[in-house]
Amino acid sequence: MRQGGGNRSRLLLISLIVTSLFLITLDLRGVSVLDGARTGTQNVLGPFQKAGNFVLTPVKNFFSYITHLGRTRTQLENLRIENSKLRRELIIRRNADGQLSQLKSILDLAGTAEYKVVNCRTISQGSGQSFSETITIDCGSNARIRKNMTVISQDGIVGVVKEVSANTSVVMLATDPTFRIGVRVAGTQQIGILSGRGSSTSTLQLLDNQTSIKAGDVLLARGSIANRPFVPGVPVGYVIDIDNSAGEIAQSGTVRYYANFNNLGVVAVVVGAPVTNPGDALVPAKPTPTPTPTVTIYVTPSPTPTN
Amino acid sequence: MLIRPISLSIPVFLAIFTFQEAVVNQFNLPGGGFSIFMIFALVWAIASTPEIAAFLGFGAGLLMDLSLSSGGRVGQWTLIMIVVCYGVSYLGYGDENIRGNPVGVVLFVVFASLAAEFLFIVTSLLLGVSVGNFNKILLILLGNFLWTLAITPMSLPIFSRLHLNIFETRSSK
Repeated sequence: MRQGGGNRSRLLLISLIVTSLFLITLDLRGVSVLDGARTGTQNVLGPFQKAGNFVLTPVKNFFSYITHLGRTRTQLENLRIENSKLRRELIIRRNADGQLSQLKSILDLAGTAEYKVVNCRTISQGSGQSFSETITIDCGSNARIRKNMTVISQDGIVGVVKEVSANTSVVMLATDPTFRIGVRVAGTQQIGILSGRGSSTSTLQLLDNQTSIKAGDVLLARGSIANRPFVPGVPVGYVIDIDNSAGEIAQSGTVRYYANFNNLGVVAVVVGAPVTNPGDALVPAKPTPTPTPTVTIYVTPSPTPTN
Repeated sequence: MLIRPISLSIPVFLAIFTFQEAVVNQFNLPGGGFSIFMIFALVWAIASTPEIAAFLGFGAGLLMDLSLSSGGRVGQWTLIMIVVCYGVSYLGYGDENIRGNPVGVVLFVVFASLAAEFLFIVTSLLLGVSVGNFNKILLILLGNFLWTLAITPMSLPIFSRLHLNIFETRSSK
């Protein structure tokens, strides 16, 4: 080990230390020159740091992933769980929004006709293997539901209650092939019988051979004795096709139901009919036709030049 | 006599300093990471005479102070690096058991680096610069120790060769 550095060495060391102490003193006193020097250094280093950051970002991410592997996995797992939870909540929320919308519409319809209704959610679709068209709702005898009560949606008739348990009921849909309902044509008051045929359309058979129907006629439920199974005035559907076969005694036609049987999230069971028949009060408004713009072009022949 | 090697050292110092700021500082390494620039300065200080080591320490410390990532006062790192570089050179000069033995150099650099960090904490406390809580200080000191221990053996051959080329070219001819 070297013993001592000589006078020159000591002088140099002391000078350098004094210089550094001088710098510290200047910095403590807030001399702006030093701040400027730091800022200038940063200005020079800035482009290099940017370039380094650009080049090294993939490497940094890799190392960060390696060094935080456990934490990243936990975080990822937590985020997945949270994401899944939020997705479920969103689905529930969308479902609730849809049901709310349907419910509002049902209440509008029921309110207009002064029906007393019990709102129910569809909890199951009937099995197609039995060739019947049914749904199961979450209301039963505890909610004053009885057999042969009318079931409606926001658009019109859905079906009729066929089986009732304490908390659930089975509803036969209007699309069921065994479904029959007495209807009348809004306005003309012609009457007929509508039969389901396993699809969104049904067959209408008029009872009077002196009357006729036309496409677009609206059909309403005629109502039953003591309002069971059908309350009067419920919109059923509209005529889309007429059968003009010569051999028919009375006119028949094809009717499309108003209700959308693929979207029966919420339905209402009519537990109390109005004192007075609502008549045609529930006839849905006809859709406003969209005007088709027509362009007329006038061609004016130019005069032939005469020489 | 020293003008030529010192003038040649300046671009090397600047290059290593830029590398430290632009590359090494990009990584958020655990335990506070390491300073390749400090390792470089200490390796050169060990390989140099105490006078040159003090100069090298002054230059290195000044550059470290000018970095915005330096949390201390301007001149603080300058003072520390002068003392530490001079100290390691003074202790190792003429002792070939340290200077000629790579393991000895590595250990010298590691402990010198730790001493520099410790001195920085002490001077920061004296100058009223916040350095964090005790746990953080302990973690950084430990991290610096381990990182320096890992990096120095890898960088030692390059830094030693650079020093040899700049400072001892004439004597080797």
